[in-house]
Amino acid sequence: MPITSPALLHSHATSFGFKEVPEEEKSRMVGDVFSSVASKYDIMNDIMSVGLHRLWKDRLVSKLSPFPGMQHLDVAGGTGDIAFRVLEAIHSLERQRISGVAVDEDAEDETRVFICDINPAMLDVGRRRAIAKGLGEARSLIWMEGDAEALKFEDASMDGYTIAFGIRNVTHIEKALSEAYRVLRRGGRFLCLELSHVDIPGFRDLYDFYSFSVIPSVGEIVAGDRESYQYLVESIRKFPSQEKFATMIKEAGFEKVEYENLAGGVVAIHSGFKL
Amino acid sequence: MNIIRWSFANGIRRTRWLSISSPIHRDLNNPLLFHPSQSPLPSNNRPLPYNLRALSDKTSSSIHDDVKPEPTQTVSQEQQTEEEKKTNHDIKDDQTRVLQAALEHVPTLGWTEAAMVAGAREVDLSPSIVGAFPRKEAALVEYFMDDCLQRLLGEIESREEELSNLVFHDRIAKIIRIRLEMQVPYISKWPQALSIQANPLNLPTSFKQRAVLVDEIWHAAGDRSTDLDWYAKRTLLGGIYAATELYMLTDYSPEFRNTWIFLDRRVSDAVDCRKTAQEAAQLATAIGAGIGNTVQAFLRRQTQ
Repeated sequence: MPITSPALLHSHATSFGFKEVPEEEKSRMVGDVFSSVASKYDIMNDIMSVGLHRLWKDRLVSKLSPFPGMQHLDVAGGTGDIAFRVLEAIHSLERQRISGVAVDEDAEDETRVFICDINPAMLDVGRRRAIAKGLGEARSLIWMEGDAEALKFEDASMDGYTIAFGIRNVTHIEKALSEAYRVLRRGGRFLCLELSHVDIPGFRDLYDFYSFSVIPSVGEIVAGDRESYQYLVESIRKFPSQEKFATMIKEAGFEKVEYENLAGGVVAIHSGFKL
Repeated sequence: MNIIRWSFANGIRRTRWLSISSPIHRDLNNPLLFHPSQSPLPSNNRPLPYNLRALSDKTSSSIHDDVKPEPTQTVSQEQQTEEEKKTNHDIKDDQTRVLQAALEHVPTLGWTEAAMVAGAREVDLSPSIVGAFPRKEAALVEYFMDDCLQRLLGEIESREEELSNLVFHDRIAKIIRIRLEMQVPYISKWPQALSIQANPLNLPTSFKQRAVLVDEIWHAAGDRSTDLDWYAKRTLLGGIYAATELYMLTDYSPEFRNTWIFLDRRVSDAVDCRKTAQEAAQLATAIGAGIGNTVQAFLRRQTQ
């Protein structure tokens, strides 16, 4: 590639899976990946994780412990998996309280879950699922297209920020983290669910075999797109280790940073507070 | 567990500051934190059996290390550690503020996450911070127990005169009463707090808090024993405290009058029981001596 054009002179190479690509390219290429798999996204998740991704997401939301009146932002959550769970958790809290004390009616009405995704195809999937769940008219669900590196929200406007299986695809992870820090209120919580690194010998080899040999083939058969799933497994390997990512979160300003490995490190939940 | 550590840390901060002007505060504000050996006052020379001391050391060992005066330490080093601690301290302070504010919602919302959410709103923090308490409601109950202990120590200090005029068992009953009266505003929700404390996950902390409380009551009542009796006394008082606490839950008499009568009787019983045991022992010795004399006299007569 001729590196003569002025734009490319200032561009740093970034990783797209194992490939090095110019930064400008990455978001477009990631966009292509998700546009092409959006329709089969859910079934592929179920197959690849043997259904475990549902439990992982449940765990994420139970860590978040949502409350009535919460302002929550779910980034890269186009299919609404996290958002629906957050709403469900809040509703079940409200049901519990009906028999007991008076509920703060205003707080209930103020509950908002913003779903922000850079990819319109994924948002469409989510909107359709909301309608199927009878949440099509729900005022508390707000769908919007947006970039994790430049959120269209005011400073200190959110109680919670989650990003599930998304931060890996962001070109500048630091930027996304500092944006998360910016939009959270004091006391607000950052939670990130991401495919991470397995360190258990033996299990790691098994996992590598599964990722590199099985997943791309399954992708080809089910979603008709081998390349995208090849990218998926490569990008997981490129993502910083649990410790390193925790350090990055600390550097963004978060306090009480900790992480929890699930399934031996196949995924990890990182958590931090803005204080 | 953390909560205790924070309140200890807060205590230290305060005592450290105060100790410049009046060493007496150091003792009275926070007797838990100091070994008798470190104490500036002879009155603090309170021996503890080692197991409990180890227990309280465990939670505050790092703090202990900080507190020990080190004359060789330079000023700049001290400032640095102060600063480091400050950031840490601020975070904990936020959480403490949430718990403090949450207590006001306990009478209506109970010892629940909802109360903590309401507390966080009140101090203008995002309620998401409730997620920073690993055992949620337990943190609230434990904070309350610690807070009560600190207030109790303050009360004992300020009413020292009044307490010293009472006879021993009245003094004990009075101190228990002061402590239990702090639970009055929460009495309708107190069974819930007890069930949270009895949860196996929370049991170690609640057991320790009660052990420390009972120990403080004995200490305030003027007990300085170091013998085996130590365990018996603390078990006995723990029993009386718990029994009264439970009695109080179903006491609907005005101002818990029946509870205080119950308490007085239990304490007198215990003191009497001890007296009876001592008397029995003396009687046994006397009888033994009497029989011995008779036998001796009998034998002597036989051999003569």
